[in-house]
Amino acid sequence: MNSADGPSIAMTADAASERRAAIQTLVPVLLAVLPFGVVYGAVAVQEGLTVAEAMGFSAGIFAGASQLAALQLMGIGAPVWSILLTIFALNFRHVLYSASLSRHLGAFSGPQKALAFFLLVDPLFGAAEVRASSRRLTPTFYLTYGVLMYGSWLLATLAGASFGRLIEDPKAFGLDFVLPVYFLGLVMGFRHRGAFYPVAATSLIVSVVVYWLAGPPWHVSIGGLAGIAVAAVIGPPKRVSEASRDTAAETGS
Amino acid sequence: MNGVPLLSDGVWSVGSIWLVILAGGLLTYLTRFGGHILISFFGTIPPRASAALDAVPAAVMTAIVAPVLVSGGWPERVAIVVCLILSFRLPLIAVVVIGTAMVAGARALGL
Repeated sequence: MNSADGPSIAMTADAASERRAAIQTLVPVLLAVLPFGVVYGAVAVQEGLTVAEAMGFSAGIFAGASQLAALQLMGIGAPVWSILLTIFALNFRHVLYSASLSRHLGAFSGPQKALAFFLLVDPLFGAAEVRASSRRLTPTFYLTYGVLMYGSWLLATLAGASFGRLIEDPKAFGLDFVLPVYFLGLVMGFRHRGAFYPVAATSLIVSVVVYWLAGPPWHVSIGGLAGIAVAAVIGPPKRVSEASRDTAAETGS
Repeated sequence: MNGVPLLSDGVWSVGSIWLVILAGGLLTYLTRFGGHILISFFGTIPPRASAALDAVPAAVMTAIVAPVLVSGGWPERVAIVVCLILSFRLPLIAVVVIGTAMVAGARALGL
């Protein structure tokens, strides 16, 4: 690359600052997410998976909740098709994420898009949406965040699978409660979005009822869809740009 | 998940575990680019659909958390409500630490 070339210098400086912004956004999230990778690895080997199999789930699926659900179902000897259906149901929310995200991928090449969608996990979706609401979403920002998160998830799984047998009783440390309270905190980060309270209240009630009637994992898909339907009925907020900027300030912290 | 390694009973062969990993991975990737395919196919997103998409994270994550209110014991129920109130003021990681410590503490006391 020609170092005397003005635009290329500008682009390099820009890439460096995008990379820095991605890492700054990612670090607090890693503190919250990595324990789940460790917990997953630990539970996986305690349930009888080998370290390689535990790593295979983290590398191939890269979605903590569905990995834990698959583990639970395999533990009770559920048939393969029911496990695959559960994985699909739990991860179905990503269809909605990728639909929303595809509005912001104008700067991405074809292969970059393919990689971007593979790496699309909940926190990355949140970070990308927040970023896109205030400036152009760059491949550098998105892929730095995503690749680092993927590598960290694998390392956390490896750590948990390697040392997991040392944790005698994960429940004594309240580790099973980390996931719900983490999701609760994430949800509250969206409370300034339009129609948040009717959406959340609907999802809450429907999820509890479905959980009670049909059991997991249907409460996630059906409860989620009920809240989304309410948002669709209420329609767009009047001042869209200001609302999304408030959300940016909120979830970016 | 009661700590007994049920997988070692032999119900699950190594091959079927890797089948779940590969097929589950493919299905997950399908969901991760499926929305993009749908949007490219149908073109632009109407405002109402866009409002619905904006509500996706809050709706889905609320649905994930909600059963704690009915499936957990009293320590979990109290902790999740306390965390809900704390989350108006405190950053996410602080709420996670406090909530987990509350539940661990309650269990240590045998509540």
